[in-house]
This record gives sequence, structure tokens and C-alpha cells, in this order.
Amino acid sequence: MSIEEKVLIRDASFPKPFSNGLEFNAPAHGTWNIVHIGFRIPKAHQIYICAINCLRGVVMTAAEMGELGRFSSVVLEEDDMTHSGRIEETTIEGITDALNKLPELPPVVIVFPVCTHKFMGCDIDYIYRVLNERFPDVIFVKGFMDPIMQKRGTSPDQRLRKAMSDIIPQMPVNPDVAAFVGCDVPASLSNDIRVLLTENNRIIRDTAACKTLEEYLSIGEAEKLICQYPAGLLATKTASARLGREYFYLPLSFNYKTIEEEISSLNLDVPDGFFEAGKKACEEELLNLKELIKDTPVAIDYTAVPKPLSFARFLLSNGINVRTIYLDAIDGSEEEDFQYLASNYPELVLHSTIHVSDRRLVRSPEKILAVGQKAAWFEGTENFVNIIEGNGLYGYSGIKEMLKLMEDAFTNSKDLRDIVPRKGLGCRSIV
Amino acid sequence: MKKTYRILPVYTGDVSGAASALYELGGMTVIHDPSGCNSTYNTHDEVRWYDKESLIYISGLNDMDAITGNDTKFINDICFAAERMKPKFIALANSPLPYLNGTDFKGITRILEKKTGLPCFYIKTNAMHDYSKGQSEAYLSFAKRMLEPSDSKIENGVNIIGVTPLDFTSTDIYINDRYQIVSNWSLNTTLDEVLNAPKASLNIAVSSSAIAVCEYMKDRFGIPYIKGLPWDGEVEDYLATQRSKSKNYIVGEPVISASIAAKIKKMYGIDFNVIASTEITDGLLLDCDKVCHGEEEIEEALKDAKKIIADPLVKLIAPSGAEFIELPHFAMSGRLYKKNIPNLMKPEEYYHGT
Repeated sequence: MSIEEKVLIRDASFPKPFSNGLEFNAPAHGTWNIVHIGFRIPKAHQIYICAINCLRGVVMTAAEMGELGRFSSVVLEEDDMTHSGRIEETTIEGITDALNKLPELPPVVIVFPVCTHKFMGCDIDYIYRVLNERFPDVIFVKGFMDPIMQKRGTSPDQRLRKAMSDIIPQMPVNPDVAAFVGCDVPASLSNDIRVLLTENNRIIRDTAACKTLEEYLSIGEAEKLICQYPAGLLATKTASARLGREYFYLPLSFNYKTIEEEISSLNLDVPDGFFEAGKKACEEELLNLKELIKDTPVAIDYTAVPKPLSFARFLLSNGINVRTIYLDAIDGSEEEDFQYLASNYPELVLHSTIHVSDRRLVRSPEKILAVGQKAAWFEGTENFVNIIEGNGLYGYSGIKEMLKLMEDAFTNSKDLRDIVPRKGLGCRSIV
Repeated sequence: MKKTYRILPVYTGDVSGAASALYELGGMTVIHDPSGCNSTYNTHDEVRWYDKESLIYISGLNDMDAITGNDTKFINDICFAAERMKPKFIALANSPLPYLNGTDFKGITRILEKKTGLPCFYIKTNAMHDYSKGQSEAYLSFAKRMLEPSDSKIENGVNIIGVTPLDFTSTDIYINDRYQIVSNWSLNTTLDEVLNAPKASLNIAVSSSAIAVCEYMKDRFGIPYIKGLPWDGEVEDYLATQRSKSKNYIVGEPVISASIAAKIKKMYGIDFNVIASTEITDGLLLDCDKVCHGEEEIEEALKDAKKIIADPLVKLIAPSGAEFIELPHFAMSGRLYKKNIPNLMKPEEYYHGT
């Protein structure tokens, strides 16, 4: 592993190109945190139980969304750590007090204990038993804000997505319903899967776009569960196993063959010529992009697309000058793309986003086209595609739309200083 | 229940306060924390992060290192960063889990001093206190490790202490020409300026986070101090202005709030009582004022209010019949009302004497 902030891909190790050290945090905050994700359940109220410095980030996330009315806090203090049983008592009585003070009892409450609860050996099951007895009409979602666990195993946001899907009830299967599950960004209107589902007369539900709690819970009748974001896969798999439904993991891909195979796996009626027309549209858009940006260097970051190496491979193979990928780790599913790029484009730079040296950036004065907020901030460019998590795109239409977004970003600059410090791209922001 | 916040945000925490206090002093502040502190700090508690460089990092503590008490990685990572980034000093801040497992920060600072040759000090935070406590601890730890007595004194020299964007987001503090500002702790300042502090003849504590270090400098360097905002450039302790019991309240940090209350009394003859809602309050209030920590106590204290001066978010728990005068406070509402935060030294901008 490299101890430097950047490494050529030919010299990089897989899947961790960089060694761990002190961590810098770039002022680009468009990605979602657990507060943004939790509010995807309509009418859900969130309660965090932690020390105030840890609370500050989550409560201000809610405040900036204009959602303080759906957010409460219970503060942990020193006595909660020095008195046996106090942390359970504070958690239970704090949540009870917060709920009793609300104008009306929310139907769903997402509870977030923290690292401290784990290290104190807190009896979480006891807490939920008492809460369920006190508030039998409330559905409690068992969240956790324990970033200390995120370097090994699953991250808090992955487990939150799972906990949120755990409340989706078992319902009779409706073969006409398919659901997108576990993403933060709704499937876009042009998403090939969404289009094909619609053309096959399926009713579409999306955990990222439910307007009512009833709509969210009715995902329990879906025949197919479709996940397009890696962090939502755990939720999708467990919901699939629990409900006995088929699931499909189909993140935004930049490989024509993969797209064709994945779409075919859904057993939908696909119009004649669909695949050929899709490829042709992508090829035409690639020519447009190349004609427009010529050899302009391109930088990509891991927050913009679920598979940044696959994306880079696609662009490089089609003559686009991808120079840098900003990431800190590589998803296991990208190993083949990593090997391909290391062999065929060995000068491609992998750049960490948290290395200590990143605080003192040396930026190039030349025009750079970035895909993603972090890439834009690191490169200091106002020509950037402002998306996260693949923007709900998928398929040939997804590739084409991504290329068009790059063309637009190249032509029209954005206010980097104003945009990237805002949290939760796509969420309401009252800042 | 005192620990419950139904709707109000908590104030900025002590870790962020410590980082804010040291931001411009050229050191490297390392928060021993898994994740989140750095993002919280630079998103919600620090207005300078995007535009002004400062070496503030987290350790990225993981569960196994916390359980096994593996400090070696922490120490090695700091040494690597110090070698790479060349800070003038290293400050370590604590968070809940290292606090819980009793990490020996003082021992670690001794090792770091030997390994890096840099001054190192520990700031007693644990993420369970508000920013004023964190700033206070940071100033005190910095002063104890970094300040040396000076043979030369500047007779009319003053240090202005307790200034960070958390309280003074849009405020420029002006002092009468009779005085010479030796150092500002710590906004629009430098390490060299702050290291000159022992040359001053008077310290001005403009927030509660300055009190501990002012007491230290009084004992160590014989520098007296005075508390309060220097209205019209004049140095005067706000406690000298008597105020009477009233149903008009100003909610916030005690030194700033009480200074504003004293100014209003002088300008308009109207009494405001302070509801001090941050942690450091000893000796900073008059009998008519109150200490209230947490949403429940503040809400209770405001029940009979006629007029309230406070951050706009306090309106969420204020009685509907009270007249509410908005005074946005970055340490409470963060970026929400940042554009509306006035210059505190211009009270006519936020209070019109009615």
C-alpha cells in the first residue's frame, strides 16, 4: 500500500491502494449521511443518543434539511459511563421523554445508539423491549451510529439501510410490482430498467421516492427487488431472504455486455433492437463528447458513480483522457477493471481523498473536467458533473445521459464554492 | 428530562471548540476519533475550512485499536503527518472512546515530543461538553506549553482573548487607540502574534472560553484581566453595570450576552437578564441572571418572557406571546442563519431599543 496521497495504478495494490493514517476531510459534502438516509421513510422520527460533539453533525444535518421537527436528541454525559446501568436508563428515559414531548406520536422512530453503547456493553435488546412495551403503536427501526466499526465489516449506513428494510412487512406477492431498494437516489425516469418495467406494465416502487409510509411498507408485496447501489446490497439481500423474493444487484455499469446480460436476467419483454439501438446511441454520444472536450483531462471520484474504475475504463477505451480517479478503496467487484487499467493505462493516477497531504493541494491551472464533487474540489475546477451514487442512471440510457452530463459540465461551469459544501445532494437544503 | 432535546440542536461540542481555538496558530490538531468529528467540525462548526488552510485531522480510530489500547499506530501516524506537513506544534484532542478506555494522552505527548522535536500538548476534551469548554481547554493547554515570560512589557498592550468564529462570526473587535493590541486569541491572527501575549499589560476576556487562560496568565505573568466586549473601543467590565430582575431575556454565551445586556441598559435603560446556556459561567453573571443548560431548562426559564434576544432556533421553544429579537449564533444554528449574523459590536444592527 502506498503511503503517498497518490499512486500510479500500475504500482497500486488492490483493493486498498493507500495505507491508513491520520485522515483529512475535504469540504465537499454532497454525499448522504445516516440522517439523510433515515428521512427516506416518510413520517419517521429520528432519535440519536450520544455525546454532544457527535450529536452536532447529525442534528445540524436535520436542521439544514428543515427537519428539526422530525429529530430529537438524548445527550450522553460522563455519568452515563461511570454508573452501571445508567446508559440504558438514559437511553430509555431520554427516548421516552422525547416521544412524550412530541405533538403526536410518530408511527416510525429510528433509534441511533452509538459506539459508546457498544463499548459499554449496553443491553440494546432490553432497551427495545422496554420501548416496545411503552410505545406499542410505534415501529422502532434499530439504527446505529458507530463509525468505529466502519473500517471492518459493514458501515453504519449499510446497516441503517438494512434496518430500514427490516420494517417492510411480509405481504402476498403481487407479480405486477417491482421495487428499487436500498438506494438514496431514485431510479431516473430514463433508467433502462425502469423504462422496461413500465413497458412491461409493472407497478414501480422505490424506497428512495416513497411519498407516504403506506407506500413504503407496500414494498412488501413486490415480486422483484432491485438494488443499484453497493451500500444498499445488504438491505436488499436480507429483505429478499426474509420475504422470499428474488433480488437483482444491478449498479450503473459501463460495459455493454454486462448491461445486456443484466437486463436479460430480469425476464422482461425487451423490444426488438433495444440493445443495438442503445449501443448505437452511446457510440454517437461518445463521438460528441470527444469532439467537444478533445484531450481535456478528466477526473472521476468514487462518490459520483458506484464503479469508478469501470467508468474510467469505458472512457479511456473510447479515447477520453481520464487522468485521475479519486478514491480510498476499491470495491471487490472492480478487480477485473483494476487489472485491465493497470495493464493498459498504467499511468492512470489513483488519488486518496483523506490523506494528510490533501490539506495542501497543488492544483493544475489547466482546464479539467471532473465527475463528482470531490474530484471537482481536489482539482479546483468549476467544470464538473454534480451527481452522487450514479444519479439513478442505468443501462445504455444511463451511459448516454452520463456522457451528456459531461458535455454540459464542460460547457457550463458551476459555482464550486457554493455547491460542494452543501450536504446531501438532492435533499432539501435551507442553508 | 435534562438530557433530552426534543427539537433544539445542541451547541457546538468541545472537540470542535478546541480545533476552532487553535485553527490559525500553525499547529496540527489531531482528534483521536474514529470518524465524524472532522466532517462535523468542518461542515457545521468552522467557517474557515474551505478558504484557509489548517492542519486538523482525525486519527481514524478503529474498534480493535480501541479495545487493545494500541497507541503505537496513533503515534506513528502523527509522526508521519508531522514530518510531512511541518506544523509548529501538535495538539491532541480526546473523544468518547479514548476517554472511556483511559488513553494516556499525556504520556503520548511526551513520546511525540521526543520523536518529532515539536512542542506537543493534550487538550482535555471528551466530546461531552460544549465548545466554550473546548476552547477554554485549548487556550489553557496552549498557554501552558507554548508561552514564555517576557522581559519587555508593552504598557498599553492588550491581548484580546476568546475570539473564534463560533461566537464572533461577523464581528471585528475595535479597541481605542490608547491601547495597542498585542495579540488576538484567535481570529485573523498568527502564532508569532499569540506568542507575544506575555508582553501585554492587560487581557480582555471577550468570551467565557478566555477566563481560564486569563487566570493562568494573571498567575504566571502577572497580567490582570477584564471581562466583556469593548464597546466603542473602551475597556470596561460588564459586571460594573447593574441590571435588575426583568422578564426580558437574552439567551446565549454569558460574557457576550451579559455585555450586550449591559450595553442595552446603558443605551436604552432597559433591563435584560441573561440566560446563560453554555457551560462556563462561574463569576460571569449578576444575581438577576440564570444558568440554564439544555432545552428543557431554557424553555422553562423563558415561560414568562416578554422579550427574548436569542438565536432564531430558540424561537422553537419560546412562548408565542413573547417579542423575539433574532441574534443568530453560529455555535447554535451553524450555517442556517450565517448570512444574517450581525457584528456583535454594533448593537443597533440587532436591537432597536423598543
